[in-house]
Amino acid sequence: MPNVTLVIDGQTVTVPAGTNIVDAARIAGIAIPVFCYHPKLKPVGMCRMCLVEVWTPKIDPATRQAVIGEDGRPVMTLMMGKLQPGCVTSVSDGMEVRTTTDRVRFAQKGQLEFLLTSHPLDCPVCDKGGECPLQNLTMQFGPSTSRFDYADKIHFEKPIRLGDLIYLDRERCILCSRCVRFQDDIAGDPVLGFDNRGRTWEIISKSDPPFDSKFSGNTTDICPVGALTTADFRFKARVWELRPTPSICPHCPVGCNISLDMRYDRLMRVMPRENDYVNEIWICDKGRFGMRFIESPERLRQPLIRKGDTLTPATWDEAIALIAEKLIAIRTHAGAAALGGLASPDLPNEDLYLFQKLFRQVLRSPNLDFCTGAPGEPAIIDLGATLGVGKGTNLSNLGAGTSVLVVGADPEEEAPLYVLRLRGIAARGGDLTIINPYPTKLDRTPARVIRPRAGAEAFVALALLKTLIEEELIAADFVTRRVQGFDELKMRLRNHSVASLCDAAGAPEDVVRSAAYAFAKADNGIIIYGRVALASGADLIDALADLALLTGHVGRPNNGVIPLIPGANARGALDMGVHPGAGKKRGLTAREMWAAAREGRLRGMIIAGMDPVRDNPAAAEALDALEFLVVQDIFLTETAQHADVVLPTASIAGREGTLTNAERRVQRFRQARIPEFNTPAGWDVAQRIARALIALGVKPTAPDGQGDGRGASRTLAKTAATTASSDQWDYAVAGDVADEIAATVHGYADTTYESLGLTRKPQWGRQPNEAIFYDGTSYENTEGVGVQIAAEADNPKATFTLRARVPPLFATNDAYPYTLLAAPRAYDGRAWSRDSKLLPRMVTPHLILNADDATALGIAPGGLVQIASEVGCAVLPAQIDRNLPRGLALMPDVDGAPLSRVQTGPLTRIAIMAHISETVGTR
Amino acid sequence: MSPLAEHIVLRDLDIENIADFDVYLQHGGYEAFRTAVTERTPADIVQMVKDSGLRGRGGAGFPTGVKWGFLPKGVYPRYLLCNCDESEPGTFNNHQIIDRNPHQLIEGIAISAYAIEANLAYIYIRGEFAAAARRLERAIAQAYARGFLGRNIFGKGYDLDIYVHRGAGAYICGEETALMESLEGKIGQPRLRPPFPAVSGLYGKPTIINNVETLTNVPMIVRHGAAWYRRFGTEKSPGTKVFSVSGHVKRPGNYEAPLGIPLRELIFSPDYCQGMRSNRNVKIIVPGGASAGWLTADDLDVTLDYEALAAKGSMLGSGGVIVLDESVSAVEVAYKMDEFFKHESCGKCTPCREGTYFLVKVLHRIMHGHGRREDIPLLHDVYNQMAGNCFCLLGESAVVPIRSALRLFPHEFEQAIAQAGNGHRKAHAVSVR
Repeated sequence: MPNVTLVIDGQTVTVPAGTNIVDAARIAGIAIPVFCYHPKLKPVGMCRMCLVEVWTPKIDPATRQAVIGEDGRPVMTLMMGKLQPGCVTSVSDGMEVRTTTDRVRFAQKGQLEFLLTSHPLDCPVCDKGGECPLQNLTMQFGPSTSRFDYADKIHFEKPIRLGDLIYLDRERCILCSRCVRFQDDIAGDPVLGFDNRGRTWEIISKSDPPFDSKFSGNTTDICPVGALTTADFRFKARVWELRPTPSICPHCPVGCNISLDMRYDRLMRVMPRENDYVNEIWICDKGRFGMRFIESPERLRQPLIRKGDTLTPATWDEAIALIAEKLIAIRTHAGAAALGGLASPDLPNEDLYLFQKLFRQVLRSPNLDFCTGAPGEPAIIDLGATLGVGKGTNLSNLGAGTSVLVVGADPEEEAPLYVLRLRGIAARGGDLTIINPYPTKLDRTPARVIRPRAGAEAFVALALLKTLIEEELIAADFVTRRVQGFDELKMRLRNHSVASLCDAAGAPEDVVRSAAYAFAKADNGIIIYGRVALASGADLIDALADLALLTGHVGRPNNGVIPLIPGANARGALDMGVHPGAGKKRGLTAREMWAAAREGRLRGMIIAGMDPVRDNPAAAEALDALEFLVVQDIFLTETAQHADVVLPTASIAGREGTLTNAERRVQRFRQARIPEFNTPAGWDVAQRIARALIALGVKPTAPDGQGDGRGASRTLAKTAATTASSDQWDYAVAGDVADEIAATVHGYADTTYESLGLTRKPQWGRQPNEAIFYDGTSYENTEGVGVQIAAEADNPKATFTLRARVPPLFATNDAYPYTLLAAPRAYDGRAWSRDSKLLPRMVTPHLILNADDATALGIAPGGLVQIASEVGCAVLPAQIDRNLPRGLALMPDVDGAPLSRVQTGPLTRIAIMAHISETVGTR
Repeated sequence: MSPLAEHIVLRDLDIENIADFDVYLQHGGYEAFRTAVTERTPADIVQMVKDSGLRGRGGAGFPTGVKWGFLPKGVYPRYLLCNCDESEPGTFNNHQIIDRNPHQLIEGIAISAYAIEANLAYIYIRGEFAAAARRLERAIAQAYARGFLGRNIFGKGYDLDIYVHRGAGAYICGEETALMESLEGKIGQPRLRPPFPAVSGLYGKPTIINNVETLTNVPMIVRHGAAWYRRFGTEKSPGTKVFSVSGHVKRPGNYEAPLGIPLRELIFSPDYCQGMRSNRNVKIIVPGGASAGWLTADDLDVTLDYEALAAKGSMLGSGGVIVLDESVSAVEVAYKMDEFFKHESCGKCTPCREGTYFLVKVLHRIMHGHGRREDIPLLHDVYNQMAGNCFCLLGESAVVPIRSALRLFPHEFEQAIAQAGNGHRKAHAVSVR
C-alpha cells in the first residue's frame, strides 16, 4: 500500500494510505483521546472525543493544483470548516493535523463535560476505578468541575444483569458501543443491542439465555468505563491492590496468555495478556471465569494412604516410601512391564517430562499414555510434529491470500479463541472452508460449508485431492523436491472421480471443487482439524496431510496443519514422550493397560492429573485389579478413590512451568502464590518418587526415546553437562527441568527458560500512552511471548511420503440405524468448573437429534430417549436440532454423559427409541 | 385565488378528486411515465431533470438530477427511496400530497426509478401516517392493476415494484442514512459518510433518496419539459415550493408558490396567509422547519429561495414556515424547539445526546424563574460544544433555536434571569392560590 506523509502537531509522519488520523498519531507517539475507537474494532465516530483540526491544501478547482500562497507554501483550509473525528478520517498527503489548539481543547473539554453530565461519579465504589479511561481522560483533558446540576442527572436502576456473568450499570455507560461491536464483529455472537434512544439509549441483551456468548468477559475489558463488570470480580478488590502474575490458560490447546491478578494469595480475577501470536487481547469466558477451582475448599491438602477401605492422611515421607517400596516389589516379581503410567494432557511440560523420565529411565517401563482409554476415545493421530505450522506463523496477520480448511472441528467448544482468530482471517479477506458433519457456530462466519456424512469426512479430503490432481493444482516444484509417492497416490485414486468421492461423502461437488481451488491457489494454506476428525480416523488425517503436501502449504510460516488435540498440553505430552510409541520399545496404550490390568499383566500404575473412572466406569474394574495404584491430583477424584496412595499437587497458580500450545508455541507461566497447602508441583512429585527408588538401589538407565540423540546439535554440549545432575534427580526449580527439556527433547532447543521469558519490542504496534486503549484491559506482555518450535517440515531437507488411500465406506447396520458422535463441549462440567460463575452454563448430559428423526421416533424436546448399541444402552433427555443432518445423533461429551456405556469406537452405530417406561417431569 | 394559474404539486387545488385514480388518468395521469419508458432513455430523463434545475425539497436543496448522476456506472441493483418521514416541526406538505394527490407521487417515483435504472422503490412513511400509508398502498395497487407497475411495463421490459414501509415514529429516520438503517430493520441511527448512499446505500447498494415533494414534481417536468419548469421560481431555485405556514397567521396551511416569493407576500398577501392573527406584530419567523435559523420582522422582505435565505443565515429547509407574534417568549420558543430535538436525539453521538439534554435543563430553569446569572454564558458554551461536533445534522439543528434566540433576543434571557426568584415564581404562586 502506498505511503502518505502528513504533519501531526508539527511532526512529520509517514503511514500507509488508508490509515486513520488516530492511528497515524499513535505511530507518531501522539495520543488523541478516544472512547468509542478501539484498534481492534472498526471505527464508528460516535463519541466525538477524537475531534481534531484537519487542514488540507486548498485545491484550485480549475487547475486541480494546490494553491500556493504568498509565502510560497500551499494555502491550507480547515476540512469542512469544522473539527473532524480523527478515528474516521483517513490521512492524505500534505495534510496537517492539529490536536492541541484551543478549538480542539474546547471540544475535548466539552465532550468530557457532556459525558459526565449523567455519570454518577461513583468512582470510589467502581470496580473500574484506577484503570478507567474516563477517569484518566477527564484528568488529562476534562473540566475540573461540572456545570451540570447534580439533581438533573438521569438515574437508572443500579446494575442490572446483562447475563449471569456480566452486570451493566447504565448510569456509568457512555454508549460507545464497543461491547456491541465486539460481539457483532469480533466474537460473531450478535447478542447485544440497543434499546430506546437519546439519553435513555441503553445496552440490552437480545439472546435467551441473556448474553449468550463464550466471549462475554472481553466486553468488560474494552469497556472504557465501569459500565460492564463481571460477576466474578465485582467488589472483590481495588485494582491497584492487585499483583498481576503472567500465566497461561490451562483449559484448551490455544494457550491464551492470561494474568492471574492476585491480592496477597487470593485470586481476584483473570485477565488476558496481549500476545498477537496466540490470543491478541482476548480470552474466552472459560479461561476468565473457570479458574476458581484453584481455591476450592475441596482441594487435596496432604497425601493419603489406603488403610483397608479408607484413605487416611499421611506424611509425604510415608507416602513416598510406600510408593517406592511397592513399585520395586512389583518390578521385582512381575517385571517393569507390569508398571504403567497415565498423565493428563493438561499437565505442564516439566511434569510430563519427569513423569516419562521416571517411567522410562528409573522404572524402565514404556507403558505411558495421556489418554483415558474410554471406548469412544479416538486415537491421537498427530501431524503437529511432522508437518505442523511453519515456525513464525501468526494467524492475526493473515487475511486476503490465506485459505483455511477447518476439518471435523468445533473450535468454539474445543479451542474457543480460534473462532475469533478464524473470524479475523475471514474479515481481513481470507478464505475459509468448514468441513464438519454437523453445524457449529463457526458456520456463521462467511465461509464455504461442506457437510459430509458423519464418518465419511475422508472422502471430502480425497475429493479435494482428486480435484488437485485433475485440475493440475499441484505445487509441482514442492512435490518434486520434498514429496514421495505421488505416482502411487494417483494410482490409488485412478478409479475414483471427484463426483464419486463427493457422492461417497454426501458433499456437493461444486463446493468441494471451489474449496480445492481456493486452497491450492492461496498464498498461505492452513488446515485445522479437531475432535471429529480424530474420530473419523487415519484415513482422513492422512488425506489431510497429503492435501497440505500437494499444495506445498507446509514448511513455511503461516502454512501447515494445526491439530486440536484435547488437553491444554497434548502437544507437550506428545513431544515429551508421554505416549506408548515414543520410546524404542512400544508400550501399552491406556486402553491396552485396562485390559492388561484385568488380565493381571499390569500390576501397578501411577495416574497423574487424570480421572479415567469418571468417564469410563470400566476403568474402575481394571484399577481394582491392580496391586498398587498411585494417583496424583489436586482433587480427590473418583479415580483417586480407587488409589492406594493419593498425592496432592499444586495448581497452576502455585507453581511455575511451561505449556506447549496447538501451534507448538512453548509458553511459560509464573507462580502466582505460595503453593496451596504447601503442595509440590507435579514434576517434584515425580522427582521425589525417583529419588526414593534410586535410594533403594534402583539404577536409572540412559535416556531412551526422546533422549535418543535426536536433540538439536546446538544443545548437545549442554546435554552432556546436565546428564550428571539428571541422573541424580536434582531439580531445584521448574527451570532446571525446563532447561533439561530444551537440552534433550527433540525440537525444544530454543525453549530455554530464559528465552521463553523474552518479549518482543515494540509489541504489535503498541505506542506510548496506549493506556487509553489498554488500561485495565489487557496487560502488556512483559514476561515473554513464548517460543514456537519447528516441525520436521520446517527442515527444508525433510521429505514426506503421500499416504492417502480410499477407505471402505462406514458400514451401515439396519439394527442400529443412527450414527452416534461425541460432541466436545467447552462447558463440560468437569473438575475445572468447581466454584465457577459458569456453573449454571454447564451442559448436562443429553442427546441431540434431528427434528424430523425425532418426529418419526415420537420424541419431544426434553423427552427421554433410550439409545442402544451393540455393547450397551443408556437413557437420557433429548434435544431437537432442526439443522442437524438426519441419521446423526450427537452426545455432548460432558461430565456424566453415558458415552462409554454405548460407544464401540469413536463412531458408533446406535438405535434410538422414545423411552416410555416412565415419564419424567421435565417442566 | 393563488397567483399560480396552475399548480405543479398541489394539483388537487386545480382538479377536483385527483386522488381518484380515474380522475388522475383523465387528466393525463401516467402519460409522462409512458412517454419516459416508451420514448426516452433513462439518461434522457436524468438530463431533463438536471436541466429543470429541480432541487431537493426535503431540506438540503441539492440539485436532484446531479444527485442521480452520482450513481456509480454499472452497479446493480439500485434502489430508489422516497422519504416520507415528514417530522420536521412546522412541516406538513408531504401529508397533503399523499392525501390529495397520491398518484402523481407514485408516477414520480416510477419515472425516477426508471431514470436511475432501479427496479425496486420503497416509500418510507412516517409511522403516524397510518391512513396515508393505506392510501398509498391503494394507489400502488391500482397502478399495478393497470400494468403501470410490476413486470414488463408498457411492454418495454422494464420491471418496477414499489413497497410502502411504515417507520416507527422517529424524526431521525428522515435523515437519509438513518432511514436506510431503519428500512433494513436496524435501530434508526445515521451512518458514517462516506460512503454516500449513491455509492453504498440500502443493503450496501447504490441508492437514491428523494423527498415526496421532489418526486411529485417529476411527472410535470417530464410532461412539460425543463424549460417550462424553469418559468417558475428564480434562476438558481427554479420551480415552485409548497410552503407549510403555521403559527399566528390568519390562514395557516399549505401554499404552493414560486420559489423566490417574498416572505412578506406569503404572510400578508390575501392570496396566501392574509396577515397576522389579531393584527399583532411579527416577532419570530422560522422559515424552513425548526432546524432553520430564525428571522424577525426586519427580515420580511427576504425572498423565499435557497440562496436568499442562506444569505440571511437561515435556510429554506423543508418549507415549514412558522410565524410567531409578539405574544410569545423567545426563551419559551427556544425551549420548545430544543425539547423537540432532545426528545428526538437518537443518542448515537455524545454532543447531541448530552448537549440537547443539557440545553433543555438550563432553558427549563430560566423559563420557570430559576435562571442564574451564569446561565447565559453557559448556554453559549453548551451550544458551541455541540456546533460542528455532532455526528449528523440533528445535533447541529438543535443548536439553531438557542443560538438564534440568544442572538436576536438576549434581553429576554437577561430579563427572565433578573426576575428569577420573584417574577415568575411569584406569578406562579398567585395563580395557584
